[in-house]
Amino acid sequence: MGGKCPHRNVKKRRYSHKTARRTKFELKGDDMVYAQLNKPDEERAPLPLDEDLPGMGQYYCLHCDRYFSNVAVRDEHFKTKRHKKRIKQMMGPAPHTQLDADVAAGMGMPDNGPKLMSM
Amino acid sequence: MRLEKCWFCSSTTYPGHGIQFVRNDAKIFRFCRSKCHKNFKMKRNPRKVKWTKAYRRVHGKDMTQDSTFEFERKRNRPERYDRNLAENVLKAIPKIDKIRVAREEKHHKNRMKGKKQKLHMEAVRELEQGISLVKAPSVLQKDPFLTLPKIKVGVSQQQQSEENHPMEE
Repeated sequence: MGGKCPHRNVKKRRYSHKTARRTKFELKGDDMVYAQLNKPDEERAPLPLDEDLPGMGQYYCLHCDRYFSNVAVRDEHFKTKRHKKRIKQMMGPAPHTQLDADVAAGMGMPDNGPKLMSM
Repeated sequence: MRLEKCWFCSSTTYPGHGIQFVRNDAKIFRFCRSKCHKNFKMKRNPRKVKWTKAYRRVHGKDMTQDSTFEFERKRNRPERYDRNLAENVLKAIPKIDKIRVAREEKHHKNRMKGKKQKLHMEAVRELEQGISLVKAPSVLQKDPFLTLPKIKVGVSQQQQSEENHPMEE
């Protein structure tokens, strides 16, 4: 009688909910977000209409990579602590890249050769 | 036969080793061991993990600016083969490596220069603070040195006759 079922694992159950799965697998990487944020304003294309996304994909938080159903919900999200932490993180130093790893290992900057003539 | 650097710890990854992750924006992340791969999956920042080269570079523990680093780089434009040039390069590689090793040792020595003095000052401070543990304050007033007096212990020698007795069988 009693005893623990060998298949029910609290840890697995705790980490398998929607938010945790999304945070782990679906979010954009830090360097992608950083590149988007540092793009000049002219190159930022308007958000495309997408019926599969909430709010037709028009209410988007770039830092947190989330879509919202309307302006009010998005503005409410901008007040959350997680979003503010994310903003602070993105204003810090640039994320780690393979180039940083190469330079740290003792390699020089890549040699891309002479610039090709423009046609 | 190209030797790549690990994205996380910057060590060299030889062919047939490690694992490679290609993200859906075509960015490639190479890892030399599952240790680095696991750290990447846990979203750790290599600049904050102390055993990585990126951390050591940011915190000044490794040499970062040197002309010998310029010889090893990723060349995205192939060079036309020249036999004399290739022979000269192969001859120069061990010399460059020797120079780099010597400079790294020099950097480490310079970084450790103030270590002995620092240790000495720490020892002096510890003595001044902790002398009362082994020397009572009243004794300190009479003898204000930070050394302990030598203690003489009398040792009695055994008698010779006992040692020379053979064992009875």
